[in-house]
Amino acid sequence: MSAATWIGVALAGGLAALTRFALDAAVSERFAGAFPTGTLAVNLSGAVALGFVAGVALHGAALTIVAGGGLGSYTTFSTWMFESQRLGEAGAARTLWLNIALSLAAGLAAVTFGHWLGGVL
Amino acid sequence: MSGPEAAGSGPAPGGDALKLCFYFGEHDRHGGRYLSEAVLDLFERRRLAAGVLLRGAEGFGAAQLLQTDRLLSLSEDLPLVALAVGEPGAVSATADELRGIADGGLITLERARLAGAEHRPGDEPHEEVKLTVYGGRGARRRGRPAHVDVVDTLHRHGVAGATVLVGVDGVASGRRLRARFFAVNGWVPAMVVAVGERERVAAAVAELEAGGEPPLATLEAVTVLRRDGTALPPSRGFPPAEAGEGEPGDGEWGTKLMVYCSERSEHDGQPLYLELIRRLRAEGAPGATALRGVWGYHGDHAPHGDRLLSLRRHVPIVVTVVDGARASRRWFEAAAEITAETGLVTAERVPRMFTLE
Repeated sequence: MSAATWIGVALAGGLAALTRFALDAAVSERFAGAFPTGTLAVNLSGAVALGFVAGVALHGAALTIVAGGGLGSYTTFSTWMFESQRLGEAGAARTLWLNIALSLAAGLAAVTFGHWLGGVL
Repeated sequence: MSGPEAAGSGPAPGGDALKLCFYFGEHDRHGGRYLSEAVLDLFERRRLAAGVLLRGAEGFGAAQLLQTDRLLSLSEDLPLVALAVGEPGAVSATADELRGIADGGLITLERARLAGAEHRPGDEPHEEVKLTVYGGRGARRRGRPAHVDVVDTLHRHGVAGATVLVGVDGVASGRRLRARFFAVNGWVPAMVVAVGERERVAAAVAELEAGGEPPLATLEAVTVLRRDGTALPPSRGFPPAEAGEGEPGDGEWGTKLMVYCSERSEHDGQPLYLELIRRLRAEGAPGATALRGVWGYHGDHAPHGDRLLSLRRHVPIVVTVVDGARASRRWFEAAAEITAETGLVTAERVPRMFTLE
């Protein structure tokens, strides 16, 4: 990997982290209920974007920077798991399983949709 | 539960004391540092008998922004409650100084009496009292953790409910005690909040005093409105009759509603405290704070806390709402609906409160 790619990954990662933070906070505040909507919104939009990146067949350093740096930093597996565990602690079992099932099913659909969109364009 | 070697001066046992509660946010700042630091410094400087800083699990303030430790993105500005008791003059002066340094939040001043040898809760003119015992989490009493011993004593005497709250910072006898990440934490401040009939509380206090060094404890007048789904006699309407009297001096008078339940208590299949906070916020309450205890009980349940290897938490929860005496009726009605099956609901008179903007 070239020095330019390293710098690209760092910049894309930083920018993506800030975007994720802003979107998560905005969605969570808007739908402040028991369900972790902010994290779901971040992960689903990230899945659409990654599907799209694959659909338009981005490759080389551009793929590393956008997919590895940007979307890797944007989406969050750990927060999804952390918030699921907190739901379990609070005794909201239905919401816990909904959070896991919905993220998986809608996540797959989101990647498929992004991939299709990238192919069409 | 006793404090470290007494250095500060507090009110004499049985004497009148004043209790200050300050509701604010973790991110609030003053003079280039966190406001919470400045507040605890102030408690120390004024040599108050006891002071505890508690971090809430969930809540909102006047801006109606929900903060909760359930969601990572909404947990950076959790609600804080700093409370202190001491000699009335010192506490009043602390409140005045606090109003000068804080730009937001709510300050309440309530009357309290120091429980002690010369004064039994039986002398209180009220049917029910709130007992608060201050101490350290690491303290031991009769061969077990002091808070477990105190809660057990209260439960045995039939006191309606008790909750152990652990602070993140505090003052005891005028000396600063801080919870540190890498420390034995022998003196992490802790407090037991209990509500019950005065005779039962009196009997429990007498036993606590007989069984070792008397703990620092305060008594306040309180009205129990609901207990595990049972509305108490209609003669105890809301707001409590005595709350109608005005109070000379500055500040307005209000009512403090408290709901004691457990992390496991439910309403309509949802955790009770989450439903209560959601409902209060939807109806436009000026703020609400949920505190998570580490041990305790309410109603007929046995004392409980978290268990090892159990995903679900089993700790007590206390939700507090403070508002003007008249406006509080609405919040009581919301709480009454949500506590239709379980939970202990109490009201206290707040003689002076200040909303800071």
